[in-house]
Amino acid sequence: MKKIKTLVRKEILDILRDKKTLVIMVLIPVLLYPLIIIGTTLVFSMMMDTQETEVYTVCCQAEYEGLADKWTGKLTELYEEMEEEPGVSIEFLTVVPGIEEQAESLADVWLKIEKETDGREQVTLSYDSSDQKSRYAEETVEYLLENYREELVTEKLDEEGLGEEILYPITYLALDQASVSESFAEDFGSSIGGSLGMMLIITILLGAVYPAIDATAGEKERGTLETLLTLPVTNFQMIFSKYLSVALFACVTAVLSVLSLGGSVLFLLFGVSSDMMGELPGIYLADIVSAIPVLLLVLVVTALLTSALCMIFCVFARSFKEANNYVTPVMLVVMFASMTAMVPSVILDYRTVLIPIVNVSLLVKQILSGQFDMVLAGIAAVVNLGYSVLIIWVLAKMYDSENILFSDGFRSFRIFQKRSDIRKGTIPAAGDLVLGITVLFLLLLYVGSAASVRLGFWGTAVSQLLILLVPLAVVWYMKSDVKELFSLKKPCWSMLPGSLFLYLGTYCLVLGLAGILTALFPESTENLENTFSVLAEQPLLVMLFVTAVMPAVGEEILFRGFLFGSLCKNLGRKTKNGHGTLWALLISALVFGAFHMSIVKLLPTALLGAAFAWIVYRTGSIYVSMFLHFLNNAVSMVILKYPEQISRWVPVLTKEKLSAAELGVLLTGGAILSGIGIFLMRNRQKRTKTG
Amino acid sequence: MIEAKDLCKQFERNVRQGRRTKKEAFLAVDHISLEARQGEIIGILGPNGAGKTTLLRMLGMLMTPTEGTIRLTDAEGNEITDATEKKAAIGYLSGNTKLYPRFSIREYLGFLGELYGFDKATIRERTEEIFRVLDMESFGDNRIEKLSTGQTQRASIARCLMADPELYILDEPTLGLDILSADAIIRFMKGQKAKGKTVLYSTHYLEEAQILCDRIYMIRDGKLAAQGTPEALMEQTGTDSLREAFHAIYDA
Repeated sequence: MKKIKTLVRKEILDILRDKKTLVIMVLIPVLLYPLIIIGTTLVFSMMMDTQETEVYTVCCQAEYEGLADKWTGKLTELYEEMEEEPGVSIEFLTVVPGIEEQAESLADVWLKIEKETDGREQVTLSYDSSDQKSRYAEETVEYLLENYREELVTEKLDEEGLGEEILYPITYLALDQASVSESFAEDFGSSIGGSLGMMLIITILLGAVYPAIDATAGEKERGTLETLLTLPVTNFQMIFSKYLSVALFACVTAVLSVLSLGGSVLFLLFGVSSDMMGELPGIYLADIVSAIPVLLLVLVVTALLTSALCMIFCVFARSFKEANNYVTPVMLVVMFASMTAMVPSVILDYRTVLIPIVNVSLLVKQILSGQFDMVLAGIAAVVNLGYSVLIIWVLAKMYDSENILFSDGFRSFRIFQKRSDIRKGTIPAAGDLVLGITVLFLLLLYVGSAASVRLGFWGTAVSQLLILLVPLAVVWYMKSDVKELFSLKKPCWSMLPGSLFLYLGTYCLVLGLAGILTALFPESTENLENTFSVLAEQPLLVMLFVTAVMPAVGEEILFRGFLFGSLCKNLGRKTKNGHGTLWALLISALVFGAFHMSIVKLLPTALLGAAFAWIVYRTGSIYVSMFLHFLNNAVSMVILKYPEQISRWVPVLTKEKLSAAELGVLLTGGAILSGIGIFLMRNRQKRTKTG
Repeated sequence: MIEAKDLCKQFERNVRQGRRTKKEAFLAVDHISLEARQGEIIGILGPNGAGKTTLLRMLGMLMTPTEGTIRLTDAEGNEITDATEKKAAIGYLSGNTKLYPRFSIREYLGFLGELYGFDKATIRERTEEIFRVLDMESFGDNRIEKLSTGQTQRASIARCLMADPELYILDEPTLGLDILSADAIIRFMKGQKAKGKTVLYSTHYLEEAQILCDRIYMIRDGKLAAQGTPEALMEQTGTDSLREAFHAIYDA
């Protein structure tokens, strides 16, 4: 403990003596925030000031001048009686013959008054709804006219000796139950709170990134890491004290930001233009002030998490520059997550609270809305803390590895080299895989969804094509040995029965799992049914091509060829006893599951992905898993197309809800079949090895 | 005293095979056994890439051997088993063990002293003593980034001295130093030997090794090529100097 204290003190002193850190840590929160906030508000209020002189013109024209004058006078009178609105005034003008053109260029609203045969006066309002000024003036005039009509009616009724109740047999009144403070808080929270959370998180991030790089890659670059290793401290003490210092810096930045942000806001509220903001409800302020400890706690936890996140990427780097490269994607992800609160409909509930960073951003919004939930705040803190502990644990494990401490072998991106420099047969590294899949994901998100909006059913085909093309492009650029990487080879025939068993078993397991999951989350299946109903309208062959043949080829190439293949080659090398393959299988299966964009489908799909990967691994051929994938999709499509016939033959497949007994049979049957499959494949493999 | 048996360290290297490059495991240190007794200066010789640094890193507890054992005993002959205690008993210095540039030597030594568990008075006392021995009073309070190469190397030695270890492992300590600084280092090694400490060091300066070392281990491609006192090595090869002996062994 004492050693950690010494180490932490050393780290802090070391970082503090670097001027760059101080600039990022202190200057940004302390100077930049007030500048941005006060600056923009001042500009904004200046713009409001210029609006004060805004005059709207309403022109009245009638058959004869007297009539127009009467209206102009009446409307002006009514307008003056009206409650004044700041920054706006309306002028009413009588149009006399000869100045029509001039008046027309001035007018925001044009009133034309005509006497009708029954003696009534008909007023026509001409305005331009695309012009904000014109629209505003029209609304006001309409309001005035309504008042005028009411006035006349009441007069008439009085003349006849009748009460108002003849015209208004019922009266009603709408009362807004929200107190001033509540409605203010709601507005303030959702408008400012969203962006405020983002700004805080980003400041923390900035506060963490630099010390994180300095304490890890910087130490390596300066050559002091080896010295540190000679000292009588354990690697855990070393990395933990580094982590503590980084987190401390992030926390200080966070606190400074809160203070400076709060200071700027208070300065604005009470200093510059208290009239502009209106009267601030005191109760609301009290709410916010009482929430500050919670806010601080959550921000500290965020600092812990972001620090861990930054460090885990920086330890791989050998130099500052490299660390910067690694940390940039992390920053992007964190920033993206921190923007969630700016989406108005997303709120903190028991689901969103489980996502780190996102929950902080949402919580800040909630706190500034003056109505936060203590339990959710607690969960958010625990979730972020949990993730931090997890990351630190991994970090400590990694820091024990000589590969990382004396690294010269870690190359995670190979794609950023010039193509002419890339050797033939290069295998995509971890970074390339992440990059490729992220690019694909973004393409699917934008191009894919645009295509499905434009082309409907055929949009799915576009997405499928993308899934095939992106890995092919990466692999082409990297000159990988496609045949080897994608296992485009004849299968090992003796493995086929085993594959079939494994697939059938997995299919049963997936069916059973899906049954359980739909029972647990019933609402989630509705969406899927909608999308599938579009598919079902297509002719069978077309449907099969787009939903079975294309995914079988594209997704197999992507997940089993590109991802699993590369991971196998990358990881298999580093670990003995085939653990590398197992990891590759697990990762590719999870990504496969996650790619289907549904939490409910994640587990079943991942299971299927794992089975396919194992089949590719054992048979040495991707064609087998392509065929099985095709079979899998084709079966579900046929079920979708001919639900009645299928339900007559195999009722299990179409049932909405499965009974516990059916589930049990499916799961145990599936497990047994998969077991046989795995056994068959393993057994043969051993025999061929010895034989 | 340190005693190593059958030390091995496995690394990976790229090997071109036809059109493809493959990773291949190889032994950077291949079954080397050595020992260094109290009051001895042991020289590790060998060309670049022979595995000297890897060997010294393993002996200095910076790397774990793939195979083999290392036994470390204190002055009384008791074996040290705890990893941090081992590190405390070894003063390791190499070209890669740089010091924090933003600290002054005095601050740095203070930081070390705290890690070794000394109290404030001891730290001050030892710092003054080291400053006097290494003649560092004039630059001891400057930031290390401002020091010259020789001054920096002396600061590195000060770092090793702070813990007063039983065993010094020095990886090319005189590399790139001027004659005065190199002599200071050699004096330091001799002084430690006189105090009964053990020094294990690698060097490319054969004349220096010839006068300084009690025994020498010559390494080639990770394996032990020859060992013995300088005199024995010269006798074996029938030469008059260590340099000639070196050539005789490595050119063979």
